[in-house]
Amino acid sequence: MLSHEPEVRVEVQNLRREFDSKERKVVALNGVSLKVREGEIFGVLGPNGAGKTTLIRILSTLLLPTSGVARVMGFDVASEPEKVRAVINMASGAERAGYDYISARGNLWFFSQLYGLPSEVAKARIKALSQLLGLDDYLDRKFYMLSTGYRQRVTIARAFINDPKIVFLDEPTIGLDVMTAMSIREFLIKEARENGRTIFLATHNMAEVDTICNRVAIIDRGRILTSDTPTNLKRSLGAPALVMEVSPLPVNLAFLGAVEGVKGFTTSVDEERGLARVQVVVESEECVRRILAGVPASGMRLVSSWRQQTTLEEVFVSLVGRGFVEREHEVGE
Amino acid sequence: MESRLWLRALYARMWVRVMSVFNEPLWIAVNIGFPFFSSVGLGLLYSSTGLRSFVGFAILGGIMISFWGNVLWSMASQFYWDKQVGLFEIYLTSPAPMTAILIGMSLGGVVNTAPSAVLVAVAGWLFFAPPLSPSWLAVGLTFALTLASLYAMGMMLSSLYLAYGREAESINEALHEPVSLISGVYFPSIGNFSPFPFSVQVFASLIPLTIGMDALRRALFFSQGLSSIYLHLIVLSMR
Repeated sequence: MLSHEPEVRVEVQNLRREFDSKERKVVALNGVSLKVREGEIFGVLGPNGAGKTTLIRILSTLLLPTSGVARVMGFDVASEPEKVRAVINMASGAERAGYDYISARGNLWFFSQLYGLPSEVAKARIKALSQLLGLDDYLDRKFYMLSTGYRQRVTIARAFINDPKIVFLDEPTIGLDVMTAMSIREFLIKEARENGRTIFLATHNMAEVDTICNRVAIIDRGRILTSDTPTNLKRSLGAPALVMEVSPLPVNLAFLGAVEGVKGFTTSVDEERGLARVQVVVESEECVRRILAGVPASGMRLVSSWRQQTTLEEVFVSLVGRGFVEREHEVGE
Repeated sequence: MESRLWLRALYARMWVRVMSVFNEPLWIAVNIGFPFFSSVGLGLLYSSTGLRSFVGFAILGGIMISFWGNVLWSMASQFYWDKQVGLFEIYLTSPAPMTAILIGMSLGGVVNTAPSAVLVAVAGWLFFAPPLSPSWLAVGLTFALTLASLYAMGMMLSSLYLAYGREAESINEALHEPVSLISGVYFPSIGNFSPFPFSVQVFASLIPLTIGMDALRRALFFSQGLSSIYLHLIVLSMR
C-alpha cells in the first residue's frame, strides 16, 4: 500500500486521433481527457471499435495524436517518446509475441535486454515473475510448445520484465480459460497494490473490469462517456435492471421507447425456446410496472421476468441506449 | 548507459537469431543443403565440360548464395513476420535503438549462414580442387565489405517489406532467382566474360552482390590485389 499521495502517471487532455480511409475520415478518439494515478488499475471499457486500442497505442508511443496532449510520467508521448519508453511496457491478448524455437526463459531474457537490464538482474526478475505467474515448470520449454494460457503468462511476465512504472494491457485475458484469467488478474492486483504499479487496462470484458479495476472509463465512438469506480457507476443507476423473456418471435419492442424512465435496453434471441430475452435499464420501480403492463398491450406474451443485480453493461446501456453487441454491429455497419 | 543498452540489444537480437536456427536441426539442413547441392551440381557440370577454371566460380557462388538467401529470407522479411505476431510493436515501445536490433539480426544471420558457407568451401575444394591464385588481403576485405553491403541492403529491404505486408513473400520469390542470375553468383556477369549486353551489366552493377562477386573472383582466382579492385571496394563501401 502507498504511504504517500499517489502521483499522476498518465494525463490525457482533449486527445483526438483521426484516420484517413479511402471512403471517409474516421475519428477514433474525440476529445478524450483522463488522469490515472500511481498504484491504480484503470480500466477503459467499451465495445470493439470504441477507441480503446488507439488510446493505448498513443500512450505507448506507437501512434501520434492528431491533436491534444498525452503525458506519461510527465513526459509528452509525442515529443519525448524515448523517455516514455524507458518507464512503460505493454502487452496485448491478441499477440503471440515470442520466438518459437527459443525457450520461455530465453524469450524473457531477450526482452529484458531491450531495456538494458544486466543479465543477473534479468535472471532474478524472470525467476520472481515466473513464480508469481506459475511459470516455473515451463520456463525451459520452447515457446511454440506452450499452451495458449502459458504463452499468455509469458507475455504478461514480459510486460513486467523491466520493472515498469506503467503497464498498458490490451485485452490481456482474451480467449483464456477461467483459471488462467483469474491467476493473471490476481497477479495484476498484487503488482498494483504491493509495487505501486499503474496498470492501464483496455478491455470489453465487464466482469474483469468489475473485479480488478479501481476506476473505469466507459468509452464509445472515441468519447469517454463517464469515469468513476465500478461501484459508483453501478450505484448511479438506482434501480436494478429488469429482465423479461417474451414471445412469440419476432418481438416488437417499439413501445419501450415511449415508456417514461427507460434508459435503454438490449435484446438477445433464444431461437430454440422461441423467445427473446430483453434486459431493460430502468430509473424506478414505477417504470417497471409500466413496462410489464405494456407487454401484453403490444401483442406479446410475458414468459418470465426478474430483477438483476446491476452490472457495468447496464451502465453502458443507460449511457448509450444499446448494449455492447448491438453497438459493435452499428459500428461495423 | 546508452551504449550499454545498444550493445545488450544487439547481442540479444543476435543470440535469438542464432539460437532459433541452431535449436531446429531441419533449418540447418535446409540452409546447408540448397547451396551445397547447387554448387556440387554446377561443379560437376563445369568439370565434365572441361571448364575447370569455372569450377572455383561455382564453389564461390555456393558460399555467397547462402548469404544472399539469408538476407532475403531471414533479414528482409523479418520485420514483416515480427509485425504479424506482435514482436515489432515490442521493439518500437522499448528503448532499444532500432540500429542495434537490425545489426544484431544481421550478425546473427552471418553466424547462422557460416556453417553452410564453410561446408560448401571445404567440400568444394576437397572434391574439385579448383585452381586458386589468391590475394588473401583483398579476398578478406572484399568478403567483409560484400557481407556488410548485402546485410545493409537487407536492413533497407526489411523496412520496405513492412509497407508491402503480405506481398513480402512473393517479393522474395520474385527477387531471389533474377538477382542470382544477373549478379553472376556462379559465373562472371560483368566485364569481358559476361554473357550479358552492356545495359544489363550496368543494371547488374547496382546490386552489391554483383560487385562483390566480381571482386572476389578477381582476388581469389586471378591474384588481383587491392590496387586492382579498389574501385569495387569503394563502390561496396558506399552501399
